[in-house]
Amino acid sequence: MPSITKLLAAATAIATLGLSAAQAQDLPDLAGREIIAVTENAYVPLNFADPATGEGIGLEYDLFNEIAKRLNASVKWELSSWDVMIQAVRDGQFEVGMDGITINDERKEQIDFSDSYLTSQQLMLVRADETRFTDAATFAADANNLVGAQAGTTNFYVAVYNVLDGDEANPRIKLFDTFGASVSALQAGDVDTVLMDQTSANGYIGANPGAFKVIGEPLGTEDFGFIFAKGSDLVGPVNAALAQIKADGTMDAIQKKWFYEYNAAQ
Amino acid sequence: MTYTPRPPSILSRVPWWLLAVALLFVLGFWGIATDAGYSQIFRAVSGGLVTTLWVTAVAFAAATVIGLLVALARTSGNRILCEIATFYVEIIRGIPVLVFLFYVAFVAAPAMVVAINWALQPIGASITIRQFDFAWRAIVALTVCYSAFIAEIFRAGIESVQRGQLEAARSLGLSRWKCFRLVTFPQALRTILPPLANDFVSMIKDSALVSALGVQDITQLGKVYSSGTFLFFETYNVVALLYLTLTISLSLLVRLLERYLHENQR
Repeated sequence: MPSITKLLAAATAIATLGLSAAQAQDLPDLAGREIIAVTENAYVPLNFADPATGEGIGLEYDLFNEIAKRLNASVKWELSSWDVMIQAVRDGQFEVGMDGITINDERKEQIDFSDSYLTSQQLMLVRADETRFTDAATFAADANNLVGAQAGTTNFYVAVYNVLDGDEANPRIKLFDTFGASVSALQAGDVDTVLMDQTSANGYIGANPGAFKVIGEPLGTEDFGFIFAKGSDLVGPVNAALAQIKADGTMDAIQKKWFYEYNAAQ
Repeated sequence: MTYTPRPPSILSRVPWWLLAVALLFVLGFWGIATDAGYSQIFRAVSGGLVTTLWVTAVAFAAATVIGLLVALARTSGNRILCEIATFYVEIIRGIPVLVFLFYVAFVAAPAMVVAINWALQPIGASITIRQFDFAWRAIVALTVCYSAFIAEIFRAGIESVQRGQLEAARSLGLSRWKCFRLVTFPQALRTILPPLANDFVSMIKDSALVSALGVQDITQLGKVYSSGTFLFFETYNVVALLYLTLTISLSLLVRLLERYLHENQR
C-alpha cells in the first residue's frame, strides 16, 4: 500500500515542519545583544584564517553566527590561544568559547557546556609504507606501536578510550605540544599513528606527497560543545537555537559546506 | 664637614626579601597541604620534578664544558678557531630555543640515525630513531643553545683579566696552559660566576620547553593536568611554586659560593 506510506511520510513531514515552526516561535529573543565569542583560528575546518584574506572562517563561525541570528543577537569575534581562552571564558571576559572542545565531566565542574554540536570522527594517519597493522585493533595488539597526540585534545581522548586501554597515563601515548609536532614525530618514526579527522588528514597527505596514508574505520564519539562561564544565561538560548538548526537541516548544510565542499574547492 | 657613614642597624641587615620568600613558600605549601584540589594538582605535577632537575643538570654541565671550549677558541689568537667559534656563537644565539628544539628533534636526530645506520651497515647492525629518547634530544638542544651564551660569559671573564697579569706570568716562565690555569682562570672566575648562575636559573625555567617534545617534566605534567580538567590557573600556581623552590634554593647556594670565593681571596 504505497499510497498510505506516502501519506504517512507527508504527515510526518508536516508534523516536523509544524514542530520547527513552533520552536521558531519559542526561541528566546536576546533583543540585539552583542555576544563576545572567542576561538583560536588553528583548527581546520572548524576555525581558521582564510589563506586569501586572513579573516577567520570555518564551521564554528558559520554555526555560531547562525545561532546568534536566530536569537536576535550579534557576535563580536575575538582570538586567543587555547589555555588563555578557557581561563578567560571562566572569568567572564569572553561569553562563549569554541575550538572543537570535547565535552567531559571533569571540565563540566569548571565551565558550562552547550549541547553537542558535532561528533568528531577520527581516522588513523600512518606512514605511507605502514604494513604492520591495518586498524585500531591490530594497532593496539602490538605493544611496540605508539600513538602521538596533544594532551587533552579529542585525538588524545579517542586514542586513550577507542584505540588503547582507557588508561590516560598509558606510556604508549607520546604527548606533544602541538598537532604539527606529533605529525613530525610520525614522519620521523617516533610514533606509528596520529589520530585526526578526515579534513586535517587530507591536508597533511596533500602537503607531504607520498609520506602518509589513512587506515581503518572512523573512530571516536567525542562530542564538541560551546563553553560558557558557570551559570551563563546564554546556555539555554544557544541550546534551543542549536536544536532548531539541527532539526531543520541547516546543520547538515553547514557540515556539508565545510567538510566536503570547502575541501573540494581547494 | 666630613661624611661619616652610619653604622648599620640590625634592621637594615635583615634580609627582608628572604623573609618575604619564606612567607610565600609557607603560604603556598600550606595551601597545597590543606586544600584537596591543590593537593591533587601537586601530586600530579610534582612527579616531573626529578625530570626537570636531571635534564637541567646534564644540559648545564655539558653546556658549560662546550661553552668553555668555545670561549677558549675565541680568545686563543688562532684565526681559524676564532672565526669558527664566533660563527657558532652568533648563529646559535640568534635562534629561539623552542625552534632549535624542533630542529634537533625532528631534523638532526633522524639524520644522525641515518648516518649511524650507514656507518653500521658493514657489520650488519642498525638502530632506530626510538633509541634516541626525546629527553636526550631535548638535552642536546638545550646544551647547544646555552653553550653559546655561556661561551660569551667565559670570554668576558677571560678578557676581564688585565693583560699585565698574563705578561708577568709569562715572564716568570709559566707555560700557556699554566698561565691560564693558575693566573687567568681563578681571576676570571669571580667575573664569571654571577652571570653563570644567572644562566643556570634561566635554564631551569627554559627546560620547561622540553615539554613541547612530551618530556614529562613539571610543565608537561601541568599541561596534561590542566587541559584535562580546565584548572589552568590553579595548576600553574603549583607549577610556579615548584620552579620558585628550585630557583631560589639555587640562588641561595650560589650566594654562599660567592661569599666563600671572596673570603678566600683576601
